Amino acid sequence: MVNIFVADWIAVIILFCIGLYTMIVAKNMLRILIGFEIMTKGVTLAIITAGSVNGKIVFSQALAITVIVIEVVFIAIALAIVMITQKNKRSLDVRKLTNLKG
Amino acid sequence: MVLAFIFVPLVGAAMMPIMRKFWVKGSTLVTIAVTLFMLTGSFANILREINSETGISFQKTLLGEKFALSIDGLSAVVLMTIALVTLATIIFSAGVPIGRRSGFNALVLLAVTGMNGLAMATDIFSMYVFVEIVSISSFILIVYNMDEIGTEGSFKYMILSAVATVFLLIGIAALFAVTGDVSFQGVAAGLSSSAPLVRFGLGFIVFALALKSGLMPFHGWLPDAYTAAPVSVSVLLAGVITKVAGVYTLMRIIVAVFGFSESFSNLIMILGALSMTLAAFMALGQGDFKRMLAFSSISQIGYILMSFATGTTLGLIGAVFHFFNHAVFKSLLFLNAGATETATGARRLEDLGGLAAKMPVTGITSIIGMLSAAGIPPLAGFWSKILIIIALWGSGHRFYAGLAVFTSLVTLAYLLHAQRRAFFGKVREGLENVAEVSPLLYGPAVLMAVLAVAAGIFYPVIIRTLNLLLRIHLN
Repeated sequence: MVNIFVADWIAVIILFCIGLYTMIVAKNMLRILIGFEIMTKGVTLAIITAGSVNGKIVFSQALAITVIVIEVVFIAIALAIVMITQKNKRSLDVRKLTNLKG
Repeated sequence: MVLAFIFVPLVGAAMMPIMRKFWVKGSTLVTIAVTLFMLTGSFANILREINSETGISFQKTLLGEKFALSIDGLSAVVLMTIALVTLATIIFSAGVPIGRRSGFNALVLLAVTGMNGLAMATDIFSMYVFVEIVSISSFILIVYNMDEIGTEGSFKYMILSAVATVFLLIGIAALFAVTGDVSFQGVAAGLSSSAPLVRFGLGFIVFALALKSGLMPFHGWLPDAYTAAPVSVSVLLAGVITKVAGVYTLMRIIVAVFGFSESFSNLIMILGALSMTLAAFMALGQGDFKRMLAFSSISQIGYILMSFATGTTLGLIGAVFHFFNHAVFKSLLFLNAGATETATGARRLEDLGGLAAKMPVTGITSIIGMLSAAGIPPLAGFWSKILIIIALWGSGHRFYAGLAVFTSLVTLAYLLHAQRRAFFGKVREGLENVAEVSPLLYGPAVLMAVLAVAAGIFYPVIIRTLNLLLRIHLN
């Protein structure tokens, strides 16, 4: 029988890699945030899996819900900053964020 | 008492929208009252801690032992530093124009709530929650003026912070999978088996916290965030936010959970030496006053972490002493940078010159801050740096000790260079009408300068106090 946890960990790794790749290659601010969302989904799955491995599924569900709430707050603030950038510069390209070159 | 450190700033922040309707000026007074309460509370904690037998002055468990907060010696020092720098920030910000002032105060209080919680947390998951509270409030504070550089600095900080968060959570999940617990004690007890997942978790957590504290290969966001932030926010960011969210958290998780291992010490020693030296050289070439101070911050974080990584008694005392000193002199220097920017409207060093004649108080406090940062004997920075160098030498890291001495010469060079360009010499054209800023702006700087001098003169008292405060971590 295939161990279901192995499948879970593989899913976590795949989601994590997709998210990290998206954050690295994306040039649009919104796409970078989508990459972050994908990574967080992987992390939530990792926490649930970690809880079910050692039989503390209720506790890990509580942790996962906290992670989801914090992530929503984070995304709300991030989208507000994206909106201000769009208003100021009329563009969401991160390559144009070059005012602060030292 | 433990819960007061979280709930008083939180209630203060919740009061701000109500204050906005009735009494806008009162919001600053309420914030100052909250900070003064925290300052007296943390002094009481330190006194109680010195006299206590167990070494933990307060412990509070909630939700049936599931969630605990405690104040020990290390937390007491950090809580006092937070209250001090916040007080300076709030008084300074009362003197500069800020739109939506009650909202600003509410965000500062929220960040303080998060930092206080971080100082008292006893499990890795609530540590994550408090780190997020601090980071999210500081993203908004950086972009508070809604200008172009603000959004840019804040977005860079936000993205790298997001990566750090995800790595931190994966580390927490790995440790949770191995040990079945998230409290410091539970995780430390379950770690005896050296499973690969444990090393994996340690690696991820150390990477995340190095990113948060801006160590050298991961420092990209830090100068941008400090430079882009409004002046009063960069005081708070440089003085406490990055130190507490990155450096203190790393110290706490190593002391309480993992313990020192050879590989960890070597890794942090190399990263610390790299950021200490390279950041000092990069600070030499900066034309922007705040950006130079930001690189100087990275360099000082290198000192703190190298001292901590020795794992010896002296190293820990030196790290905590330098943590406090750095909060004092770096917030002093950022206060001065803010004062010059408010008075002249210029932030580049070549647009300044001869300001000591026009702004005597700012000039003198800035000399004290720069000499303390460079480690000149009667001032506080000297004693913590010499402790760090002795700790490095004594633990056999002689090369790193030499590097620390060398870097402190470079530090002196770039700070005196900046001091000469901004404050000494002839008054620059166009700056003849500059006058000293209002007492609200230089008052906090004077307070910090007095602290830097006093901590330098009474250093035996401070080192003895730190020795007593940190005794439970020293074995």
